[in-house]
Amino acid sequence: MTIELALFAKFSARHPVPGAGRSARPYSVPECTTVGQLIGDLGLADELRITFVNGRHADDELVLAQGDRVAVFPPVAGG
Amino acid sequence: MAGGPLMDQAAVRARLGETTIGIIGLGGLGSNAAMMLVRSGVRRLVLADFDCVEESNLNRQLYFPDQLGRPKADALADTLTRINPAVALTLVTERITRENIAQVYGGVDVLIEAVDTAEGKAALVAAASELLPHTPLVWAMGLAGCASANDIETRCIGENSWIVGDLVADVREGLPLLASRVMVAAAQEAHMAIRLLLGMREA
Repeated sequence: MTIELALFAKFSARHPVPGAGRSARPYSVPECTTVGQLIGDLGLADELRITFVNGRHADDELVLAQGDRVAVFPPVAGG
Repeated sequence: MAGGPLMDQAAVRARLGETTIGIIGLGGLGSNAAMMLVRSGVRRLVLADFDCVEESNLNRQLYFPDQLGRPKADALADTLTRINPAVALTLVTERITRENIAQVYGGVDVLIEAVDTAEGKAALVAAASELLPHTPLVWAMGLAGCASANDIETRCIGENSWIVGDLVADVREGLPLLASRVMVAAAQEAHMAIRLLLGMREA
């Protein structure tokens, strides 16, 4: 199945898509893939991250569905 | 409409005066956002920080040399009360975690995340999203360094979540924290909170 994947900041740099910039790109994953499995597939399992699916914060256990919009942010320090 | 709904200054202040804002973290983001909110007419705030004022804070945070060593929540309360003696502040000097976030911030209309560590931001965004799902959350990432302040934006990233910052600039990479750029982010957090309180949800 295909999801819409948006990677931000340094995560985007690790998976560049020419012309995609910050916008989401189609991304193929097997049926019943969890957020955690997607993160592992992207090589981000050891990274501190904040993940949203369809506009809501999502845990690694969430099972993805066709067309889901996934956004992954690396938290940045400073305040 | 570019200026938003037609509301005059008195109407805006009256509306903001009926609301309650929560701020987690009273450093460069939180202390300055609180000041801007009070000047705009917000009177009720729930303010949390477990730190005390240090000399290194004075380059960008709303504290003064005669407040060194005092809990930030207490010092900021004094300053906000000078700006508007009618403020009604709830001060919390313990760390906000998923165990206490709903109890402390369950009654606020908008919650502002303003902590300084990446781990703290990740934990608080997760906790607030799960435990206060109906409370609009404005959070910030990426305000350090000397890059253009124009790179700092407000983005709506979910049903109830707005993020301020350039998403990139990280103090862990040795970037300085400049009052000018930090306050751009603080102002955008405060302004998004005000827009939410006035019924506007677009970033």
